Amino acid sequence: MKPQMYLGRYWQLYGLVALPIVYFIVFKYGPMYGVQIAFKDFNLFQGIHGSEWIGFEAFGEVFRNQEFFKTLRNTLMLNFLDLIVSFPAPLVLAIMLYELKSGWFRKFSQTVLYVPHFISWVIIGGIVYQVFGTQSGMINNVLTGLGLREIPFLTEKGNWLATYLATGVWQSAGWGTILYLAALTGINRELFEAAEVDGAGRFKRIWHITLPGLKTTIVTLLIINLGHIITIGFERPYVIGNLAVREYSDVLSTFVYRVGLESGQYTLATVVGLFQAVVGLVFVLGANFISKKLTDESIL
Amino acid sequence: MERRRNKRWHGKYRMLLMAAVIGLTTVLAACSGTSKGGSEGGGAGSGGAPQGRVTLKVEVFDRGNAPSGMKINDNYLTRYVQENFGDPNNINVEFVPIPRSEEIQKLNVLMASANDVPDIIFTYDTGTYNRYASQGGLMDVTELLDEYGPNLKAFLGEDTLKYGQIDGKQFAIPGRRLVLGKYASYIRQDWLDKLGMSAPQTTDELYAALKAFKERDPGDTGGKVIPLGMSVAPAQFEPLLWSFIEPLTEEQRYTLTQKLGSSDHPVLLPGFKEGLRFMNKLYNEGLISKDFALDKDKKQLWQDVQNGLVGAYSEDAGELYFEYNGTYKNLLTNVPGSSLTPIDPYTDSEGKHPKPGYAPNAMYIMIPKSSERAAEAIKYLDWMASGDHLFFMQNGVEGENYELEDGIPVLKADAPQDVKDRLYNYGDMAIIVNGKYMGETEKNNEAYIRQTPKEFHDVMRVSVNISNSDKIDPVVLPRPIEAEARYGSALADKYDELIVMTTMVAPDKFDATYESIMKEYMAAGGQAILDERTKLYEESQ
Repeated sequence: MKPQMYLGRYWQLYGLVALPIVYFIVFKYGPMYGVQIAFKDFNLFQGIHGSEWIGFEAFGEVFRNQEFFKTLRNTLMLNFLDLIVSFPAPLVLAIMLYELKSGWFRKFSQTVLYVPHFISWVIIGGIVYQVFGTQSGMINNVLTGLGLREIPFLTEKGNWLATYLATGVWQSAGWGTILYLAALTGINRELFEAAEVDGAGRFKRIWHITLPGLKTTIVTLLIINLGHIITIGFERPYVIGNLAVREYSDVLSTFVYRVGLESGQYTLATVVGLFQAVVGLVFVLGANFISKKLTDESIL
Repeated sequence: MERRRNKRWHGKYRMLLMAAVIGLTTVLAACSGTSKGGSEGGGAGSGGAPQGRVTLKVEVFDRGNAPSGMKINDNYLTRYVQENFGDPNNINVEFVPIPRSEEIQKLNVLMASANDVPDIIFTYDTGTYNRYASQGGLMDVTELLDEYGPNLKAFLGEDTLKYGQIDGKQFAIPGRRLVLGKYASYIRQDWLDKLGMSAPQTTDELYAALKAFKERDPGDTGGKVIPLGMSVAPAQFEPLLWSFIEPLTEEQRYTLTQKLGSSDHPVLLPGFKEGLRFMNKLYNEGLISKDFALDKDKKQLWQDVQNGLVGAYSEDAGELYFEYNGTYKNLLTNVPGSSLTPIDPYTDSEGKHPKPGYAPNAMYIMIPKSSERAAEAIKYLDWMASGDHLFFMQNGVEGENYELEDGIPVLKADAPQDVKDRLYNYGDMAIIVNGKYMGETEKNNEAYIRQTPKEFHDVMRVSVNISNSDKIDPVVLPRPIEAEARYGSALADKYDELIVMTTMVAPDKFDATYESIMKEYMAAGGQAILDERTKLYEESQ
């Protein structure tokens, strides 16, 4: 069919997708010209054109900075651990919910589980402090009341890491199950019935039917998450982190915030941003390639 | 095929409807976004502007505490300004709110856009001011000041104006700071009485009192006592740390002090490490709250004080007495029989109680180079400095807001809430001065003291005297240090990290932790500042 014929017949679909495309052009591709800032000694008042070209000098300064490598390490570490802990959680939850016989209980659990997704990290930070604080937190009050020693959840590095990951699971697991549950409904019910007739137990059914049915979804999400391993949100580490655990909680986004917005050093901040984008691209393409070779599934 | 043709109508309509709904929702969302922003700014006198009328945009700090019925950019004082300055001069005065806690970040963003940035901006942060000046973003107001600001110049005086000059050119108009004392310390008198101890006057005596608070729990807190209140705000630890600094030569003070942000930091001064060691000792003996490192804004500390858990702490002098704070009032209500006495316990090797004071300049008021209303801006500031305008903005209406006692306005405690609320943010509106202006120093101090409720005037006076004793003045350099402008904010963060980490670590790991963080501090710009200041000192010899 000629392109014009497509347009004529499916113009509603094109209309529907036009808006997101415009969004991407305006907000994602458009600002790319600002990448130049990384190569210039950016002067706020002379603008991008008026600022002096310095080539890779700023890159050198960033890569010589010890703080940068620490934040890089932390970003990768937090994201990687998050992947290990938070990625399986929605999957497990979805499978469990799917196995539930009672429809209303499933719907009720789903709603309760995904509510935390809508709570902003700033509020979660306040809740975390009230619950996990050492001096006056709820949990530690119970512990000391029982005569046990308090656990420094937020001020000791290792404990803080566990708290950070746990709150991440609490916040995101419920929302992720929606995706998986949607994919699960796409699996033919007859397969399950046939397997049951053949004598397959619950776990065998999950292993041989449910999981393979979700393979595409799992791989897609994994690739997307791997691509994001170099980027990390700002609010979560900033709000949950604190001075005592800077060693772990300082990440690229808080580094950029401190250096870029607080100190007004836009060139350095852009260098870090560009670095993140390039590395992220490499990871996405790499993960996609590996997935294609190993499982025949890929998104590009 | 047949079935499809019949259903085609429905299918087509459904698609159309969906596309229309999505389009409409997007348009509505976009519209509501902009109209919300528009109505916020349009409160004070936009719309229907008469011929030749111009708009002057003035920044105002938004602390999120506007009383009900008032908006940060439309309240008693903004209307006073519009009626008494704006209307007679044919100017629309528009106040642009900026959240106090992120003022520098927001200012950075605004400065990047010549259209949105207000005509009058300000900050306390020296580094930010220096950066804007060196990057050419500020207007040189030397001549405008001469032409339109004679009252302003007379009010501020040469000494204050000096702080805003670079090579003789006036790039900022520094506000005048009247109250220069900063810190005092407080202790639970009722606990001391119960234990039969007198108010500590040396560091050792304070330590003994803290130990007694912990071991004998005179407050009956059931083990929840926090002998020494602490947070990561400077007010809590500066008096302690500075008391450990050894006597300095002029050269040491000049070269080793590090000015991060707008205040001098003692990180390289001899004796600082011992101060940290003392904090480490206090923490590990359970005399400081285990969560102090999480308290960035003192909120948790104030809660603990009000709930009667804290034995002693250092604070901005008199902060707890002010109406808007309520800490002391709440403590008196929650714990009957309690009382806090102002003390000055931290002693150095010479028996003095050194603690930092404020520089005589307040905010750096600046006009962006791109502004077209520079003349109007200076006129506004000049108007504020003339006649009784400043007095009115700070005190309100005689008989309603205040009564004169010995020529000093004292707030009426029984004024109705909405009358009191008129002046809720006068400090952020009267930007040319910091403190209540009465004319002479004595009167200025008295006016400051009498801003607190009457029952606290005496302890307020003691607090102010404590804050002024052995006050350390900031080191004034002939020109800004480039390394301080560049690395100041990041180093200030590192400084806080240094204090927190060395305090919380086990005593046997103290030295190792101190060494490793100091190394990072020096590499992150500390060395650069030291080198530049040393060079400057040598040049000046």
